[in-house]
Amino acid sequence: MTGLDRPARARVRIDVEAAGRVVAPLWPVGSFIAVNPLEGLLDVGFEAATAQARHWLGARCFPDPHWLRAAHRAGRITDADLRASVLARQPHLDDHEVTARLGELLDLPSGPAAPGPAESTSAARPDRDLAVTIDALVAAWCAAFTDDGSIAWPMPGRREGLYLAWRQLAPHDPALRHLVGRRARATLRHLPEHPEDAIAEALDQLGVPPESHRDEMRRHLCRLPGWAGYARWSEQWAPPDEPAPRLSLVDLVAVRLVLERIAAATAAAGSPAEARGRGTPPPVNASGEDAVLWLDAFERHYRDELLTRLSRPAPTAARRRPLAQLVCCIDARSEGLRRHLEAAGDHETFGFAGFFGMAIWFRALGDPRPRAQCPVLVTPQVTVEERPLPGHEQTAQRRRARAGTASAARAAVHAAKTGPGGAFALAEATGWLSGPVAAARTLRPRRQARAEHRTDLRTAPTVDATSDGFGFTLDEQVLYAETALVTMGLTGSFAPLVVLCGHRGHTTNNPHAAALDCGACGGNPGGPNARVAAAIFNRAEVRAGLHERGITIPTSTWFLAAEHDTTTDTVVILDRHTVPPQHAGAVAALDAALAEAGDRLATERVRALPGANLGNPARHAATRAHDWAEVQPEWALARNAALIVGPRSMTAGLDLACRTFLHSYDDAVDPDGTALETILTAPMVVAQWINAQYYFSTVDPDVFGAGDKTLHNPVGGIGVLVGGGGDLRAGLPRQSVFDGDQPYHEPMRLLTVVQAPLERIAAVIDRNGILGHLFDGGWVTLAARADPAAPWQLRQGDGTWVPWQPAARTAHHLEVPA
Amino acid sequence: MNPTGLTPMTRIEVVVAGEDLPALRDVFNAAGATGYTSIANVSGVGHHGFHQGRLAFNARDALTLVITVVPDESADTVLAGVQHLLADRPGVMFVSDTYVSRPEYFR
Repeated sequence: MTGLDRPARARVRIDVEAAGRVVAPLWPVGSFIAVNPLEGLLDVGFEAATAQARHWLGARCFPDPHWLRAAHRAGRITDADLRASVLARQPHLDDHEVTARLGELLDLPSGPAAPGPAESTSAARPDRDLAVTIDALVAAWCAAFTDDGSIAWPMPGRREGLYLAWRQLAPHDPALRHLVGRRARATLRHLPEHPEDAIAEALDQLGVPPESHRDEMRRHLCRLPGWAGYARWSEQWAPPDEPAPRLSLVDLVAVRLVLERIAAATAAAGSPAEARGRGTPPPVNASGEDAVLWLDAFERHYRDELLTRLSRPAPTAARRRPLAQLVCCIDARSEGLRRHLEAAGDHETFGFAGFFGMAIWFRALGDPRPRAQCPVLVTPQVTVEERPLPGHEQTAQRRRARAGTASAARAAVHAAKTGPGGAFALAEATGWLSGPVAAARTLRPRRQARAEHRTDLRTAPTVDATSDGFGFTLDEQVLYAETALVTMGLTGSFAPLVVLCGHRGHTTNNPHAAALDCGACGGNPGGPNARVAAAIFNRAEVRAGLHERGITIPTSTWFLAAEHDTTTDTVVILDRHTVPPQHAGAVAALDAALAEAGDRLATERVRALPGANLGNPARHAATRAHDWAEVQPEWALARNAALIVGPRSMTAGLDLACRTFLHSYDDAVDPDGTALETILTAPMVVAQWINAQYYFSTVDPDVFGAGDKTLHNPVGGIGVLVGGGGDLRAGLPRQSVFDGDQPYHEPMRLLTVVQAPLERIAAVIDRNGILGHLFDGGWVTLAARADPAAPWQLRQGDGTWVPWQPAARTAHHLEVPA
Repeated sequence: MNPTGLTPMTRIEVVVAGEDLPALRDVFNAAGATGYTSIANVSGVGHHGFHQGRLAFNARDALTLVITVVPDESADTVLAGVQHLLADRPGVMFVSDTYVSRPEYFR
């Protein structure tokens, strides 16, 4: 076969890109981003997407039937819920037929059994062992290609891409020689120069008809969804200056297809190959209606409870000016902090995406590379640098030097570990030192952490535009400040202290540490964004600009930055040295209230942690944070279930058990719906990704989850393997969603609750396709009311609204077969 | 008409969602296009109604207009790739003749 012309190569690339949509992009684990594993299939709707995932990935996409039945026995799903779910789907059924359908639901398994791993492709189809062998080989080449320097001898030719680098080396790979045999080695030496040509040639020789090319490519990518996901990230999301080599889907498909083609030729020994890629069309309704009904009933039960609680009369708002206003991230863990802080004194709280509207690259002092501190949906345009305050330059210099020394020492140890024989010499020379440090970390984790803590240093972010390219212009600062205030509905009645409280997790020896940090800050701690935002809000020029736009912040108001450690439930006020003396008393009072709120939250939260010591919850939480053997430092966002968009009066005084994302919104200051549009198209999309990540990691931890933490093996600084090789693991570790053998996370699709005029909501949805996909495709349920006096309405798949009516509770349960 | 001293080329304009930009860039690269102009957050009315372009914190789902100019001999590659992309993705493509004063910039 001669090579393709350029238009044909372009078509191959588009085919591969389309085939790859069945896997989600996989962010490097160091900046872990929760993502809907089926986000590439968003536009086909939840049921069709799960059917495709079942077909291509062999994935289970619905909660375990036994777990659902246990929920039914426990009253978490009632017969009334199931009945309402059946009627919502089949409104024409009469009462007798509905009862019969309920009997079927309780008798039958609630979903089809998982079909197992994705069907072996083409040549490997007769021999699953061969497919597994090829998977292992390709995965090993991917790991070598993407290595970030952790191996001493990097793969040559990586700049040319995986296929070309592999093409040069493949004829010399002993494992490949064993696989393809002596006769086929010549084929490896004469592979096409272009990966597109290699793909086309292999498809041709395997007898795959053109109409099945995408399916065949998809099958190959689904053999290694982790590496395919990393390739999607490399191609679509990686920053332009990403130092790691770019893995591409085309290269990945080319390498795997070529290997199967050669292996098939070897195995067939001259017999004609079966036509590939025919048959096995994706089943139309493979997800099973029963599974959908059970899931819907489970979600309905939670929805009815939540909307019932949100329907109670709102508590009377205090008329006097609060001592402080705390703006927290919408993260579900903030709900607990807000609830306890409000109970601890005269404080008002708000919810806003934890990057506070500051989409920035932030370069911390001594950090060689800036970090993208914003949702991944945004590309930051501004870089902010942390610099020492006047008088602290020498301290800063010492810290830089210390960081440089530590970095050099790590590099030296790393080189010794990876060099031939060096590991043995290193163990002999430094093993005596490592032992006591390891023992200290294990036996006294908190004390060891304190010993390793850095000294204090006064710095500030360079928010103002500088001649060396850092910072914002004044107009940008005013614009971002206004957007943040209007979006959260905080445009007046400012308290003496307004606290912008970011958040972070705290864990030791955990590749998935970023999963505990702020998703709105790109999987980073939120402190830098809070510092930048507070500095901007405190500038007189910014306040003057805001005043011109109708927002007046009194001179008696000071904006503070803070950071909530969600693992220990401590809140630290940042840049305390910038607070004017007249606010010292208020800050001290706030400190005390935050400490009290943190203690109460820790007490509440620690109870749910496996193996918790309830005697001293705060101390126990800190110990878990610093213990390098702890695999469950906190539950993070497990059990997240809903996003509530509206004023705090909707939820004040309710214990929502850290299950809800709370975004403040006041429709009175958003007449054209711009703020609502921002909330639904950004924070809600991120919340849905988080929700879907937890959902799928729970319903099929083998396909969508990252596996057991105790078996994790970090690879190339980009992800983890389970054991010594195989596919890169996406999703959340098992310990993040399971308590022992049972799911801790309750898998349900996101419920979004909005208080705003319905026609405004509908207009926002109509002009944003992403929202149509989410609400009308069954990914997110939308409940809304125009005002507190109006009844809740539920949006239907056709865009209409129907009044919400809770499923009638019935005490009588039908008999459940054992 | 061939304006004096100018070189004929093909101008291709494509409107796609932000998430399809990488695939589009891939097509341009495959064709050997030496550059393109990208205008983010474009709004407009299409056969699905009004499309919002102004999203404060979501560049991925906003629409983007991408313009490239290529020699006529490279146009087929771009057209084949974009047509293939738009076969099952939302977006539109406009193709027109154009003239440039510095042809070496586009080869």
